[in-house]
Amino acid sequence: MSNSLTEGDGELLRLISRGDETAFLAFYRRYQGPVYRFALQMSGQPEIAEEVTQDVFMLVMGSAKKYDPKRGSIAAYLYGVARNFVLRRLQQERPYLTALDDPESEYADVAAGGPDALADLTRNERVESLRKAVLALPPAYREVVVLCDLHELDYAEVAAALDCAIGTIRSRLHRARALLAEKMRAEERCAV
Amino acid sequence: MNDNDLKLMEGLRSLAADGPREAPVWIEERLVGELRRQSRVRRRNRWLGAGAAAVAACLGIVLWIRTVPGVPAPPMAGVVGPAAPAPKAGGLPPAYAPGAEVAMNEAAINFYPLPDADDLPPIESATIVRVQLPLSSLRLMGLQVSDDRAAESIQADMLLGQDGLARGVRFVE
Repeated sequence: MSNSLTEGDGELLRLISRGDETAFLAFYRRYQGPVYRFALQMSGQPEIAEEVTQDVFMLVMGSAKKYDPKRGSIAAYLYGVARNFVLRRLQQERPYLTALDDPESEYADVAAGGPDALADLTRNERVESLRKAVLALPPAYREVVVLCDLHELDYAEVAAALDCAIGTIRSRLHRARALLAEKMRAEERCAV
Repeated sequence: MNDNDLKLMEGLRSLAADGPREAPVWIEERLVGELRRQSRVRRRNRWLGAGAAAVAACLGIVLWIRTVPGVPAPPMAGVVGPAAPAPKAGGLPPAYAPGAEVAMNEAAINFYPLPDADDLPPIESATIVRVQLPLSSLRLMGLQVSDDRAAESIQADMLLGQDGLARGVRFVE
């Protein structure tokens, strides 16, 4: 997803606010992929990702005029909206969230790659175990990993999307990577 | 960056490239359906709003303005205020000039000429429209109105010519 207001986005939003279907489709096709992937990587559940994608673009449909380019790029705006919807949905699914967000829980250990499950790591298994490890991170760490490492946004963009300071993003990312590296090392030890 | 960190970054790159890139197609279809529904609602509301405004305007006009079709233009007479200019007969057809015989009650037909009405074409047919005027507007006609009553309103009949321009006014109250 573009890190700045792509040329034409402003015009598309203006047209969308008037109910222009062609403009909406152009906008949707430009941004649906990143929004969907972000929601999927944050939740690990296709149902939530689908619902969040719908909700994000429904919001755009209803309040396209309210977007203010001075407050951040359209990408940051969409990620921010998607993040809020994902967190809301995850809070509704408390048992799942609790299990994944507690690194000490039994489920989190399995999700992060338990000793039996990760004995023979192929590349796909490695990716899968890393995906689960990312999902096992607390949301505040997970979202910076997803945005910085998986979506390759810069710190300023992520700070705008998450509405916090760049320093906070940097420190959370550092901590999140340390947690992931620790899990990777643990996996390797188990594999050996 | 140590070996573990490099492996982690490599794994994250693989993870970024992995998985679906697009949302399912049915989401787009559902959103387009919703957009169309909203557009229909918006269009309907716009028409309803315009229709309601038109009905309200018509009702307002009917209730507020009472036209008297076919009433011949009454003479402009009865200068009330001391500073008021005298009506000129030149702007009126001979039949309605001051002194002409009229069937109506004089009290009901005493119209006060408006400033600049003399410059308008002679009246051939007239319409009377009842309106509420602020008392302060009487000052424009040379009448004296005290400041404490200037904000009050007064009911009046406006005499409009065939061109729709006001020629005179009479005060009902």
